Amino acid sequence: MPKNYTSLISELRGKLKECSSPHDIANIKAYYLGKTGIITNEFAKLKDVNLEERKELGKSLNILKNQAQKLISLKLDNIQKTKENNRFVDVTLPGKNISMGSRHPISITINKITSILSNYGFASVSGIEIEDEFHNFEALNIPETHPARDMHDTFYVSDNKLLRTHTSSVQIRSMLSNKAPLKIMTPGKVYRCDSDPTHSPMFHQIEGLYIDKDVNFCHLKGVLINFIKEFFGKDMEIRFRPSYFPFTEPSAELDIKFKGKWLEVLGCGMVHPNVLSNVKINTKQYSGFAFGLGVERLAMLKYDIVDLRMFYENDISFLSQFRGLK
Amino acid sequence: MKVSLNWLKEYVPNIKKNDIFTEELTSLGLEVSSIVKVKKDTIIDIDMTPNRADCLSVMGIARDISPIYKKKITLPKYIKFIKSKENIFSNIDKNIAPSYSALVIKNIDNSVVTPLFIKQRLEACGLKKINFIVDVLNYVMLENGQPMHAFDNEKFTGNINVRYAKKNEKLNALDGQSYTLRADTPIISDDKKPQAIAGVIGSADSSVSINTKSVIIESAYFTPNIIRKSSKFFRLQTDASYRFERGVDPLLNEYSLGRVLAILKEYANIGDYFFNHSSTSKIAKHINKSIVINPGLFESSLGVKISDNFIVQTLKYLGFNPEKKKMGLKITVPSHRFDIAIPEDLVEEVARVYGYNNFTPILTSNSLNTIGNILNKTDYYSDSLVARGYNEVISFSFIPRGDQESHVSKSKIISIMNPISEDKAELRGSMINSILNTCSYNFSRKNLNLKIFESGKTYIKHSDKKIIEENILAGAISGVNSEANLKNDQSELSVFDLKGDLLSMLPNLSFEAHAGVNYLGKSCQAVIKQNNKIVGYCGEPGKSLYTQYSIKNTIFYFELMIDKIIGIEDVKYKKISIFPKIKRDLTILVDDNILSNDIIDAVERKSFNYMINIKISDIFYNKAELGMGKKSMTIEFMFQDKLSTLTDKQINDEMEKIIGLLKSKHEAIIRI
Repeated sequence: MPKNYTSLISELRGKLKECSSPHDIANIKAYYLGKTGIITNEFAKLKDVNLEERKELGKSLNILKNQAQKLISLKLDNIQKTKENNRFVDVTLPGKNISMGSRHPISITINKITSILSNYGFASVSGIEIEDEFHNFEALNIPETHPARDMHDTFYVSDNKLLRTHTSSVQIRSMLSNKAPLKIMTPGKVYRCDSDPTHSPMFHQIEGLYIDKDVNFCHLKGVLINFIKEFFGKDMEIRFRPSYFPFTEPSAELDIKFKGKWLEVLGCGMVHPNVLSNVKINTKQYSGFAFGLGVERLAMLKYDIVDLRMFYENDISFLSQFRGLK
Repeated sequence: MKVSLNWLKEYVPNIKKNDIFTEELTSLGLEVSSIVKVKKDTIIDIDMTPNRADCLSVMGIARDISPIYKKKITLPKYIKFIKSKENIFSNIDKNIAPSYSALVIKNIDNSVVTPLFIKQRLEACGLKKINFIVDVLNYVMLENGQPMHAFDNEKFTGNINVRYAKKNEKLNALDGQSYTLRADTPIISDDKKPQAIAGVIGSADSSVSINTKSVIIESAYFTPNIIRKSSKFFRLQTDASYRFERGVDPLLNEYSLGRVLAILKEYANIGDYFFNHSSTSKIAKHINKSIVINPGLFESSLGVKISDNFIVQTLKYLGFNPEKKKMGLKITVPSHRFDIAIPEDLVEEVARVYGYNNFTPILTSNSLNTIGNILNKTDYYSDSLVARGYNEVISFSFIPRGDQESHVSKSKIISIMNPISEDKAELRGSMINSILNTCSYNFSRKNLNLKIFESGKTYIKHSDKKIIEENILAGAISGVNSEANLKNDQSELSVFDLKGDLLSMLPNLSFEAHAGVNYLGKSCQAVIKQNNKIVGYCGEPGKSLYTQYSIKNTIFYFELMIDKIIGIEDVKYKKISIFPKIKRDLTILVDDNILSNDIIDAVERKSFNYMINIKISDIFYNKAELGMGKKSMTIEFMFQDKLSTLTDKQINDEMEKIIGLLKSKHEAIIRI
């Protein structure tokens, strides 16, 4: 190949190296291969050369042209590819999202309570909701004539079948089927004939029961004070005051100070000896404490919910706010 | 129960400032619900627990705070009676009234104006001024807790009878109502007719007015249960019945009449009077009852050593009589304490004066592990569904009357005998009502894209006595998979989304067509099985339910019987083959009525060599290309051997057998 041809190729290589846009390449292509391009002109010059030389030169010129075309299209491909690799992606477009659902705030609260209590050794037990009078009242030292029955407005489904008014019935069943010692908690739905902005005919309770040797009132306080602190995640002002439940003696109510006001959050006490005798636990050997708390009440305090009805309307816009809690 | 602070100070003069006193009362168990200043007085409202009938009076409260203020309560002045020859008692039923007193004043001027301090204190405690005699009776009731009733002697024929009513006797009561009495209604009658429902309400006919000249004042101890029953039956709760059914001090009735007489005498001219009393030898169980308590019980029950002196002094102030005996402390219960029956009751008395807040908390975290934790299973399913985008809901167990009649047979429905309203009158026998109700509510709130689930019970009556509560996990989906996404990335939720969600949490569920469930539509329903046992159903609700809940959007529903499902149990590791997996596709043409399950079952049941997985990877309908009632199905097979790399021939042999099977069993035509 003539020398001027090889220098043309190296010149083309140099020019291509420096350019970066398809537009520049089009210019280069025109400069060499266009109608009046350098290489095109070389073909025109062929007619001035003698036949023998012309044959040889034409061959080289074709190789030159092919080589140039190849280099240009290669460069063009390269530019195209780099451009694609760097294409700008709008990452602010919506993700292909199937968002998590949510547990119900009542379930979240139950989980929180039971996980704290299980760290204290309480095992979770559930039971039936349609109970008889023995397990819901009589075994708990609430005979029919007792004024305490006024505290439990009861739904009946037949003469002796009722919707349990507390989960204490589960404690009775557990004590009857499992011997002391016993350390259980009983989350579940309970029912009372009551409906206004602060009472729901169905609500959730968790009760705790610990029966063992040498259990006393200080142990009851220890569990509950630590429980409240863990549940709210901070020290709360707490007071215990004497109260009355037929199934505990002494009985107490635990109040917490919330936004400057004392609020009743749970009832508790030492298990009444009559209750223990009713389930055939030897009161000389064993004593115990029990407590019961309303889940809705704690959930409302924890999540700033003011209307009890929100829990059962199940508006997705309400429920979704609890996403991420377990 | 409202109490005047000034009045209380007559018994306990050195009561501390309001906020401290409030805390003191509350820490004794007399919870203060409000404290209001009225003119020169302060009215304290106390929430009284039902066991503390003894505190339903100023003196009762004063006695209860006396251990704190170290001040014994003294009785206000009263007149002592002497035995009278005159008699107004005819027949006193001692079951109804174990202790019954009456004071007859033959001449009194009842037009006297009620003294101002009495009027003010009655009003402060929420009682209306009526007339002199009645006001004095009410005043003494507020003072010491003894309800009393006055009859106009001139309108009272003959003697007093305490008895059960005869059926259909009538009483025109002071509240303006006429009551028809029953044979179990305890009454006070004259010789002709009923003049009061005992301990509850008096008759208007014999009521005392300003013109009354002669009066019979009744002061009694009525058996609490008897009063409670009749008060409940007539739905009548009066200041008297409220106290009688909780227990009025049985030894107080004579003194109270003496107290009344002392006040009446001070403000009005009184003529001749006489006093009658009737009582049984055993008035009430707790009278003169003594409890022997081992002093060690205080410490073992409370966890703190309390000094003997504190125990004895406290109990004395509260009216108990403690004596140290060899066998322990012998404590005599005062007549005003109905609620003290066992040693533990005395422990509480001492503990509440000691102060519940003064006991040191001790945390015990021992685990006994006697019973398993049975709630975890439901928790796992709930969390899985939440991860798939479901919101958990909780509905009432009650549903409106009639709402489930289309799919739960009448004999199985459990109704509430005393429902709070008709829309909460039955217990749900199926979860579909709860779920559709929640869907409907959300659609009405324009929440159109739903994925919800509820874990709860259904309640069914089997036979007469047997009730079954079943734990169900149910849910529904509707709308698009994610409304936040670009339109291109959204898709309408279908029953296959539902199925996928369930399989993601329980991979060994199987779905079979034609469940035969009456609340699901015929065109789209499946029975869900695990290990060949039915564990649930899913599909689209039936048309009538859509109408019942006014739902226009398409919904897919599922329910699983949680107790029947076997969760993922222990896993045992299986050796993994290191040889390559080889995939083969097969496209066949079959009749449209052959289900994909039929194809897979047929292959799986034969268990072909080396085949480790089979799935349907494509399905295609085209009338023109495939013909009517035909579909094209692509099946993907995966082969792998544990011991060596498979050769083409090995796999081809198996594929030949599979093709042969599909041809013979399902008349499949091989397309590729």
